[in-house]
Amino acid sequence: MQVDVIFRLSCPRRRLHDQWVESVEVRDPYEILGIGKTAPAEEIQKAYRKLAKKLHPDLNPGDRQAEADFKELSQAYGILSDPEKRRRFDQGEIDASGEEKPRQQYYRDYAPADATYGNSSGFADFAGSDSFLAELLRRQREHARRMPGADLHYTLVIDLLDAINGATRRLSLPSGGSIDVTIPAGVRDGQVIRLRGKGAPSQGEGPPGDAMIELTISPHRFFVLDGDDIRLELPVTLKEAVLGGKVKVPTPAGTVMMTIPKGSNTGTILRLRGKGAPRKSGGHGDELVVLKVMLPSSPDAGLEELVSQWSPEKEDDLRGDMLS
Amino acid sequence: MMITRSDFLLRMHLDDVTLDLWMVEEWLLPQRAEDDLLFTEADLARAQLILDLQADLGVNREGIGIILNLLDQVHGLRQALAGKLRPPEA
Repeated sequence: MQVDVIFRLSCPRRRLHDQWVESVEVRDPYEILGIGKTAPAEEIQKAYRKLAKKLHPDLNPGDRQAEADFKELSQAYGILSDPEKRRRFDQGEIDASGEEKPRQQYYRDYAPADATYGNSSGFADFAGSDSFLAELLRRQREHARRMPGADLHYTLVIDLLDAINGATRRLSLPSGGSIDVTIPAGVRDGQVIRLRGKGAPSQGEGPPGDAMIELTISPHRFFVLDGDDIRLELPVTLKEAVLGGKVKVPTPAGTVMMTIPKGSNTGTILRLRGKGAPRKSGGHGDELVVLKVMLPSSPDAGLEELVSQWSPEKEDDLRGDMLS
Repeated sequence: MMITRSDFLLRMHLDDVTLDLWMVEEWLLPQRAEDDLLFTEADLARAQLILDLQADLGVNREGIGIILNLLDQVHGLRQALAGKLRPPEA
């Protein structure tokens, strides 16, 4: 049972990006491949190939449904073609939504704009015979010439503070060169920024495509984003906790002074209004400061003396409900 | 946005010999620059298709050439028809 839990926690589909959590109802992989639970490996491959020939999106350029069907098939095959994963699936340790090869685009998405491989020999013999078809051919060439370039997809890792405050970051491209990306304040993990005209150039004379930049926010050393709020664990001294006082607190917008009420404890949450991340609806979330009372880092003779002489007004029964 | 030969090999997990073979077969037609080859995102997607045909579908070398040629014709026809059904704006 423990194995099950560990896997589920580390399963990337359940993490971060909304689009990864889309797995709604996942069909049984044996059912998808149309084979029995005891089918040998060769039969699995045979069943997969038979279906993949029908469903591969590049072999079905006009069928939009093919992509979803093929994805489902690839997922099923990803599990059943790997003996270890198949064993774990059979034993109920992993579910059918497990494995999926990341795949962004198929050739069919590029083919309409791709003059390199364009081939009109499938109807070249029509051209001379009919002015109607000759016109059609001319239009096709004209259309190809005007096709915009393809959209290019990138990911950019940014700091949490840049996500909250906004920033300009330079994205180095795999092909050399770079783009300056202006990140608006208040972006969220997984958000995609579209830069018009920064994609692939047109193969003809059309406009270039767009650059689609997916943002990944790297964790901050002490700020944690929680919806529109920011959480911060703030260490305070015993003295500050017992007697109260004013302390400096970091916020994404800079340092502010905050009053710690007398008698604050570890876990006490103080709210700094409007110091969190920008809200979609305008305004800002809050910064939630969670106090953590710290004893002196090295033994302190004065404190020991003080505490040994101290008799509490009321003895708290801290562990009573644990030790019934 | 062009991709150099070494980046292309890296992104597709391909080796030099395989890429050379694919180009000899004219499955891929990258642009030739002074001392390098330049690939497009379309070439990447096309290379992925070749890998799918080879590894996942078990198509042999001759088969791949035939499939790519027919696919290119299909795309040519699709474009011609699309141009007819949806004329480009002037």
